[in-house]
Amino acid sequence: MASVKSEAKAENLEVKSTSRSSVLGFFMAAPPMLLVVCFVGIPILIAFTFSFGFTSGPNRVVSIIGQEIHKKDHWWGTFGAYKDVFKDSRFPGDLRTTIIVSFLSTFLTLLMALGIGLYQRIMGGRIAAIMTTLCLVPLFVPVVISSWAIHTFYAGDGFMRSLLSHFGINFPTVTSTVSAIVIGSVWTSLPFAILMVTSGLQSIPDALIETAQDAGAGFFRIVRTVLIPLAITPIVIAGTFTAIGIMGSFTIPLFLGPNQPTMLGVEISNFFGAYNRPQQSIVMAFIVFTAASGIALIYIWANVKSAKQSGRI
Amino acid sequence: MTDQTQEEGLILNGLTKILGGRVIIDNLHLTVKKGEMVSLLGPSGCGKTTTLRMIAGFLIPDKGDIRLNGKDVTLLGPEKRPSAMVFQNYALWPHMSVFKNVAYPLKVRKLPKEEIERRVHEALGVVNLMHHKDSRPGQISGGEQQRVALARALVQEPDILLLDEPLSNLDAKLRVKVREDIRELQRRLGITTVIVTHDQDEALSISDRIAVMNAGKIEQFSTTQELYDRPETEYVANFIGSLNRVEGGYADGKVVPGDEIVGIRPEDVIYGATATPGAFPATVSLVVPRGHFSEVYLKRDDVELRAFISVDVPRVGDMGFARVVKALVYKDGKLVRVA
Repeated sequence: MASVKSEAKAENLEVKSTSRSSVLGFFMAAPPMLLVVCFVGIPILIAFTFSFGFTSGPNRVVSIIGQEIHKKDHWWGTFGAYKDVFKDSRFPGDLRTTIIVSFLSTFLTLLMALGIGLYQRIMGGRIAAIMTTLCLVPLFVPVVISSWAIHTFYAGDGFMRSLLSHFGINFPTVTSTVSAIVIGSVWTSLPFAILMVTSGLQSIPDALIETAQDAGAGFFRIVRTVLIPLAITPIVIAGTFTAIGIMGSFTIPLFLGPNQPTMLGVEISNFFGAYNRPQQSIVMAFIVFTAASGIALIYIWANVKSAKQSGRI
Repeated sequence: MTDQTQEEGLILNGLTKILGGRVIIDNLHLTVKKGEMVSLLGPSGCGKTTTLRMIAGFLIPDKGDIRLNGKDVTLLGPEKRPSAMVFQNYALWPHMSVFKNVAYPLKVRKLPKEEIERRVHEALGVVNLMHHKDSRPGQISGGEQQRVALARALVQEPDILLLDEPLSNLDAKLRVKVREDIRELQRRLGITTVIVTHDQDEALSISDRIAVMNAGKIEQFSTTQELYDRPETEYVANFIGSLNRVEGGYADGKVVPGDEIVGIRPEDVIYGATATPGAFPATVSLVVPRGHFSEVYLKRDDVELRAFISVDVPRVGDMGFARVVKALVYKDGKLVRVA
């Protein structure tokens, strides 16, 4: 009887200690959560209501200053601003450019990161180390500087055209084209992607690769069946982060891209500032946000998959 | 091809490997018969894993050659060698089920689906893991993972099976069970096997012959009994089993002054309360219970000997008589006589 009592007491103490640490954990997590809610969550909510024509309260001033503001005509709001955006002849081109640049740049970034990561993982050595270090350099160069550097390199009067003209080669002007945005995006996204992909590949134990070799697998089969599946989580994370970053990029398309069609980041800024149409710019921002959320779902899927594989869930 | 070379499954001829400017393997010779199980035994850093990796093809020797079933495989990569290796940490691919792990080598060889299924089921049956064929490696125990790794190696029907410390990650009880399983399987399938271990118990209980390695060389390559009864060097005598090491000479069952090293196995020291021919008086200085026997320290003058006693264990301070029934006498590290 006494032992039953003491067991119950011990269990009670354990429950108390667990609940105490949960309370402590909550209070430790509360400040950053509060910060996110106040400075990110609430502004998003206010902007969201504004896009549907809720022009009172915190949206009052911006709705007075802005042009072509739609006010709600139903209890749930209005689709007026959304209709404006989808009817605008610039929007389809901007959306297409944003999607193409994002996918193409992400694809090329991942391809290069995988190539370098695999080379370093399989071959190792000094050349691989130098290559990886060089690829990290853009991480320490501000985007505005690198954009300008790329501009002067590929411009009509830039380095490439000047150099090749000496050999009678007419190198095309790359700046002010979608290709220039892709080059700039890959240049700036590559370091982070390489860090993610390389760390993922490096964390695969040698024995897992050697076992495949021992089983008779060649290089490409090992890459396809062992290395990529085992590093899929960091690869997907690198891909999603790259895609979201490029989709919302502003500096690179502004410096290197064409005036029209351009990427939505630049167009949102134009609509907000130059055209003074804040409601339409917010609509565009929500369209980008929705697309980015789709990509974020892939990120979540990768994390869940990784957690399942490691037995965490 | 002669009958002798047909019998010789694996021949390592003058293997030398230098890594980072250091000689890791130094002119190593070893011949393993077909169907034999040989252990490479030695402490960490003695070169046993390097030797195994050269046999598997992960390292190419700087000198010497490797012949497998009469064929020179020295320069072949691991994917081209008729060998299969089981790694220390099993190296199961966590993203594949047990079935897919075992089927992998057969898929690489592009065998028909039906044959792959048949052979994988056979291999999993051999290691008693059919019920886990759809599980992921993370969902099964360490011992089961070890058996999956073994099945993956066996399914390849290799000419030689290489095991790199396959039991070191298992707990003591499971280690004994799995090593018995491995031995039974190896005997049943008659597969030539080389196992690397630093555990002498494991090597003694599992192998037909043991190669004791030291600093990149083989000190002795013998059957387990011979290795224990007649260790050719002092290093081997110290490494295999327990040993009383006394500086001096040995004559008439007694340690006498001299410039040799006398090695006496604790089980070759007989202790009794009464004097017997050849016995000398000794005092019990320490008794360490070891389960089914006790390790008894016997002291006479400056010499202390350990004896393993299982019945009538004396107590500390008891005075009795000790007799040495067998001694190994070494000079310059080499065995000169067994007395």
